[in-house]
This record gives sequence, structure tokens and C-alpha cells, in this order.
Amino acid sequence: MSQAPVRVSPLIKLGRWSLLLVGIAYGAAHQSRLSKKEEKVREIENQQKAVRDAKLAEEKKRSAEAEARALAELSKPRSQ
Amino acid sequence: MASVASKGSGLINKLLVQARPQLDVFLKYAKVELTPPTPADIPAIRQSIGNIVKSAKTGSYKNLSVKQAWLNTLVTAEVIFWFYIGECIGKRHLVGYNV
Repeated sequence: MSQAPVRVSPLIKLGRWSLLLVGIAYGAAHQSRLSKKEEKVREIENQQKAVRDAKLAEEKKRSAEAEARALAELSKPRSQ
Repeated sequence: MASVASKGSGLINKLLVQARPQLDVFLKYAKVELTPPTPADIPAIRQSIGNIVKSAKTGSYKNLSVKQAWLNTLVTAEVIFWFYIGECIGKRHLVGYNV
């Protein structure tokens, strides 16, 4: 059952280890690049969110006022 | 809570005892097969690179049997996959980039 370990060719070993290290460097660099990019996008989104929230609140306020006015109109005693 | 903790540690100890033989086998092979190349390997590496270049130049790679060529392809693929393992370690996430 117990086979002797294979003598792996040094070239394969070198390839494995160097590619592993290159991959770690690549992954870390790519990760930091993408995080920075995403951070910028988040910032822009936050600005847009503030603008949109203000707009939505304004709209809500206006519609609430219109509704209140309509209700007042309805509940006014009719003058015949 | 304490009983759960002690049970958990007991379970882990049992698991370690159970896994010990497999771990020993893994270590026995890994110590030979997975060690990084040493400076002493540089001549052998140069020689195998020279062999590859020579076989590409002379076209002797066309004389390989299908089995040999298939094995070489698989080995190359395996070596390339180490890059993706390294990328996963570098980005500290398994699937995609966690930004």
C-alpha cells in the first residue's frame, strides 16, 4: 500500500511555487484595485442617494399636502 | 454551555486521533513532493527547460505517444491551477472579489 513518494521534477515544483506566489500577488493587487474602484462608486452612489432622498421627501410632502387639501375640500360644508 | 464546550473539544480530539494516520501519510508524501525547489535544483530546472526548448525546436514533441502528451497536458494544467489557488489566497475570498 505504501508507495515511495514520487520524485517530482524540479521544473514542476518551480512552476507550482512560482505560480502560487504570482497568484497571491496578482490576487492581492487585483483585490486592492477593485476595492478602490468600488469605493469611488460607493461615494458617488451616496451623493446620488442624498439627492434622491431629498427629492423623494419633497414629493412626499407635496402629495401629503395635496391630500390634506383635498380632504379639507371634501369635508367643507356644502353651500347650496 | 461548559458541557457543550467540553464535548466539542472531546470531539475535536477524537477527530485528531482518527485523522492522525491519514495526516501522517499526507505529511510523508508532502515532504517530498510538495516542498519548494531548492537552489540545488537549479541545474536540473535549467536542463529540463533546455529539453523543452530543444523538443520544441527539433519538433520531437510530435513523436510523443498520445498518452505521454495527455499526461504532459494534465501536468501543465495542474501547475497552472496553482496560480488560481494563489489568487484565491491573495484576494482572501473563494468566489469572486469581495469588494
